[in-house]
Amino acid sequence: MEFFTIAFSVLAIGGAIGLLFFKHPLHGAMSFLVTLLSVAGFYALLSNKFLFILQIIIYAGAIMVLIMFVIMFLNVREKELIDENFLVNKFILGALLLAPFAYLLFSSVANYTPQNIALAEDFGTIQSIGLNLFTEWMFTFELISILLLGAVVGAVVVAQKESKNG
Amino acid sequence: MVNEILFVAVVLFLIGIIGVLIRRNIFTVFMSIELMLNAGNLSFIAFSKDLALNSGSSIAMIVMAVAAAEAAFGLAIALLIYKHKNSLDIDLLNLIKG
Amino acid sequence: MSYLLFIPLMPLLGGMIISILYILGLKYNMKSEKFFGKIALIGPFISAVLGIKLFLDTNANEAVTHVVFEWMRVDELALNLGFYVDSLSSLMVLFVTFIGFLIHLYSTKYMSKDKGYGKFFAYMNLFLGSMLILVLADNPALMFVGWEGVGACSYLLIAFYYGDSENVKAGNKAFIMNRVGDFGFVVGMMILFFAVGVFGFDFASLKANAHLIPIELVYIITFALFIGATGKSAQLPLYTWLPDAMAGPTPVSALIHAATMVTAGIYMVARFSFLYSSVPAIGEMIAYIGAFTALVAAIIALRQNDIKKILAYSTVSQLGYMFVAVGVGAYSTGLFHVFTHAFFKALLFLGAGAVIYALHHEQNIWKMGNLKKLKIVYIPMLIATLAISGIPPFAGFFSKDEVLLYTFASGHTGLYIILLFTACLTAYYMFRLFFVVFHGKDESFTHKHIEKPPFEMSIVLQILMLGAIFAGFLGLPEIFGGDNEFAVWLQASLTYPVNMPHVSHATELKLMFFGVLSSSIGIFIAYKKFYRYGEQKSSLFMKFIERKLFVDELYSVVFVKTTKHFSRFLWEFIDNIVINKIVDYSSYSFAFFSKRVGSFIQNGYIRFYLVYMIIAISLMAMFLEKFV
Repeated sequence: MEFFTIAFSVLAIGGAIGLLFFKHPLHGAMSFLVTLLSVAGFYALLSNKFLFILQIIIYAGAIMVLIMFVIMFLNVREKELIDENFLVNKFILGALLLAPFAYLLFSSVANYTPQNIALAEDFGTIQSIGLNLFTEWMFTFELISILLLGAVVGAVVVAQKESKNG
Repeated sequence: MVNEILFVAVVLFLIGIIGVLIRRNIFTVFMSIELMLNAGNLSFIAFSKDLALNSGSSIAMIVMAVAAAEAAFGLAIALLIYKHKNSLDIDLLNLIKG
Repeated sequence: MSYLLFIPLMPLLGGMIISILYILGLKYNMKSEKFFGKIALIGPFISAVLGIKLFLDTNANEAVTHVVFEWMRVDELALNLGFYVDSLSSLMVLFVTFIGFLIHLYSTKYMSKDKGYGKFFAYMNLFLGSMLILVLADNPALMFVGWEGVGACSYLLIAFYYGDSENVKAGNKAFIMNRVGDFGFVVGMMILFFAVGVFGFDFASLKANAHLIPIELVYIITFALFIGATGKSAQLPLYTWLPDAMAGPTPVSALIHAATMVTAGIYMVARFSFLYSSVPAIGEMIAYIGAFTALVAAIIALRQNDIKKILAYSTVSQLGYMFVAVGVGAYSTGLFHVFTHAFFKALLFLGAGAVIYALHHEQNIWKMGNLKKLKIVYIPMLIATLAISGIPPFAGFFSKDEVLLYTFASGHTGLYIILLFTACLTAYYMFRLFFVVFHGKDESFTHKHIEKPPFEMSIVLQILMLGAIFAGFLGLPEIFGGDNEFAVWLQASLTYPVNMPHVSHATELKLMFFGVLSSSIGIFIAYKKFYRYGEQKSSLFMKFIERKLFVDELYSVVFVKTTKHFSRFLWEFIDNIVINKIVDYSSYSFAFFSKRVGSFIQNGYIRFYLVYMIIAISLMAMFLEKFV
């Protein structure tokens, strides 16, 4: 267990750092993909079968594909890329800026004592999560569906060609 | 184990924030936002296992749905911006100056 | 005593109604003099009748307060709109309303053919109402309301012929000098309130609690209140407005500047006698100021040529007498002189008005002469002039003699000599006026036709003449068999100083003799100079007197010009340069900083805004550290 935890952590953080420092967005997208897959691995470690699958299908399989599609659609060449220098310096500056906030988060995590409640038999299966979603989170579910509808319609409207007259 | 995973989640979150801060490329910024969302998801699932509740998983699913909607929409806008400015620099978008 | 409210109310209502009708009349061009005249007389007539009733109803030893409503209550200050009736105020109401009504009657004919006829009566009624409020007030604040009201009406009436800017300046002068005095009054009132006002600020409570005030404060209060009296009653140094106030119509001079408003100062001192009686030093100061005022005014009057100005200076002089009386503690004597003076001074002014009316508004005495054929005016004027000179048995003799008596008895021999000499001067200049106007050569050849005074005017003159003859007998001293009912009547309302002097009858007779002697000398000198026809030589000293001792010029240089220069300085330097620069600079610096700092912070880059957000979050995180 320990090995996988450490491995996935390294991959995740490494991928994130890669996202930050690669000039070309496509390279960044690739390393982000690695992060997403390792997060899926984390879900598996946490005995959450359903979300493990969901992460891979939706995040890695749909969203990242979409992003990469758009990047490649725009055909960004090396020479057209923006000049972004001193990334490391800016990174350190940003880290310093975030230091108090980071300290707050880290200390709250460190002070957390895990309760380790025993898992039910069907924890993390589609059935149980589905039941929970359609009972406790019913209202949110409906709202999300409207949100998705709105997003679809909005995307279509926004990306239309200019009006016929001009 | 949960503590380590939470630690990773926090680190990913912070890296996501810094990513939004320092990069000028639209896509990189966008992906950093997705990174932050993922970090949140991860902590939700971790707590879900720790407290043996399925709510965390449901919330994580909902977050994913939101992320997907946002991705679709945001990329459409990114396309429009590229068509307008012919560049992927977000520093060119400063019409709210002053 | 519920009719009490109507005594000041009727003239005030009359004033309001007349003003409304006058404004309407201006709009619709209907100005009927008879109409306005009749309405104008209603208010004063009712007040006069009620005044007499009030006088008869009043018990000399009892003071009644009649509260109409509660005016204000702020913390410890509780003021009512109330009327305080004791022997003093009922007496004042009596002669104020009586003479006020007579003068209103007189003016219905005097002011005829004047285009501001209605306006005049509105102002006069308003004045009468304010004076009655002043006299009847039951607390110093309400008294001050009346005080200010009469000051305002005085201004309105002096500047009545506003077409000529000189009249308006005279009105301004009167009001502003009054204001200077009013400041003293207010200060005195305030200190009085702080000293003892907690226990109630009406006259009854103040009188009862006067012993609680520390003596130093009493000095300050009485001094400050006297400054108010100086302004209102035209004493040194605030007297120069009264001669200038003659720019107003003659009935105004008669009512306001002879009989009523100027006596408000004396009334005030008498009202506050519970304070003044315990500070004889202030009383001494008042007496000195009064005496010198009397002397200076008499000197200036010696060489005046306008009939009204002579009378104005004589008013100032007589007021000086009154203040001497109240200064030495003889309050009832001062009020007695107020009473008799009201009659003969009003008579003098109205008689002068009749002369002016007869000669078609000529006011220079050297252009009059040999008017004794106008018998209807001649006889009252003779009586009045004899009265003011202090010749027995007319009214002025008794009151003036009482003033001289108490002055001598209080030990101020110097003041006595001054007053005696002033009496001589008074007789001289009054008879100078009389002889030049009514005897001597007829300079009125320039005026073809002498206008006989109408009935209303002459009847008033006759009534006042009776008053001038008989009013003195109310204060008949014991020597002649009377028992000075005047003083007895006022006994309970006034507080006398602890040791009032007594004089033996022999001394009293001797003083009386000297008084009459000095007046007779004055009359004799005037007779010699002016009975036939006299011209006056002008030596350097006389020129100095003629120019009114250059007091007005002195005031102009010392006060008026310095104020003007100071305001100019404030305007040009402080306002234009200093304040403008400050405002300009502050707006400039704002623009500068907005441009530099503002545009840098708000540059439109989202990443910058994000940094600000993160800074805020970090600060909050630092704050939240404590709770983790």
